[in-house]
Amino acid sequence: MSINKFHLVLFIVFSQFSNNISAQSSYLFGLLPSINVNYKLENDWSLNTKLESRHLLRSGEFNGIIERKYNYILTDLSMIAAKKVGLNSRVASGYLIRFEEEKLFHRFIQQYTVLQRLTNLRLAHRLSTDQTFSPMEKPEFRLRYRIASEVALDGQSVDPREFYFKFNNEYLNSWQDYGYDLEIRLVPLLGYNLKSTNKIEMGLDYRVNSFLNNNTRHSFWVNLNWFIEL
Amino acid sequence: MVKYVIVTLFFLIFGNFSNYILAQEKYERESRLKQKYVPSNALNFIDSLSLKNKVKWYLEEGFESKSIEAKFKRNGEKHSIEFDIHGIIQDVEIEMKWNDLYMPFKNLIIKQLKEDCIKHKIVKTQIQYTGNQTALLLKLLSDVSVKDLTVKYEIILKCHCDKNTQLFEYLFNDNGQLIMATPIIFKPSNHLEY
Repeated sequence: MSINKFHLVLFIVFSQFSNNISAQSSYLFGLLPSINVNYKLENDWSLNTKLESRHLLRSGEFNGIIERKYNYILTDLSMIAAKKVGLNSRVASGYLIRFEEEKLFHRFIQQYTVLQRLTNLRLAHRLSTDQTFSPMEKPEFRLRYRIASEVALDGQSVDPREFYFKFNNEYLNSWQDYGYDLEIRLVPLLGYNLKSTNKIEMGLDYRVNSFLNNNTRHSFWVNLNWFIEL
Repeated sequence: MVKYVIVTLFFLIFGNFSNYILAQEKYERESRLKQKYVPSNALNFIDSLSLKNKVKWYLEEGFESKSIEAKFKRNGEKHSIEFDIHGIIQDVEIEMKWNDLYMPFKNLIIKQLKEDCIKHKIVKTQIQYTGNQTALLLKLLSDVSVKDLTVKYEIILKCHCDKNTQLFEYLFNDNGQLIMATPIIFKPSNHLEY
């Protein structure tokens, strides 16, 4: 697809979203801090642990009622074991437990990532599937694709004590109780590389879903991520 | 309860790692350099090449050394010229196609790679010239064979050996003898993968 065609598709998708904003659509706004620790093991194995929590600061409908009240929503704790299978690729599998309003959700994750190193940027393609189970809800099955890019803001690569720009774009297909939904995520982030094993990022995680059934829900989460490599 | 666990964890981890963050690590940094900060010797050398394309300047800093690098494209080939901080030229590197290397020389390299790797794939080939400023300028301007220049070949390749695949930088002299083979260590990418 040429760049012009790609921009046209993006324009159509976003026009659709903006139409939905003026129609009946709801939004959430809050904080999404996370700590991600990656342990390097022998024989190209690694272990990744992530702790992430969601805090709601504001919710409501566009052109409608707004509720400004702090609400703690949930906490996710995940552990993923990964094995490097090629120079630039890795397969991983793991488990996530979600604590949400006294309820527990269990998620099993499988993923495959390929990293591309270009002259001025790095691109990571991630294809993943997950299955979520809980006593309260029907099982949910998801198929996700994410492209993440990193551009150094000084020089050709991100060195210690340098800022970088990161942009994630993810498409999540979800099947639950014979229903299907598509969620799209756009996440621009400003990162700072404290040293090669410590990075801090801040940005906005925008998510839109339920637009296929005209009940569009927009979520805006302020991301604060801390990545540690051990 | 969960909130308290998160806060406690955050302080525990931050407490443990803040010392490491502030401590020194192997310090290597490459950053863009504005043309006004480039030493005049280096600028004059680049000016004498009468380039049509834009030149990008970089400062490379290590604990013990600093250097200045000019990167540009000329006749479709990527060039990289390294200077010391006084603008004295150190070397010239030109990216080339693997297939453009002449055959007997290529065979010597392949023989070495077959000894070291079960399977290999050439990613990048560069020719490196070192010598005095006049010889290097003559080489860049005329592309004829110039005496007083040391020629080396830098090959970046994927090498599959034993159980893993790694990226290596091989350096050969112009007789096809191996000078050095260094594994390339990648920067962590967990922030792009998770």
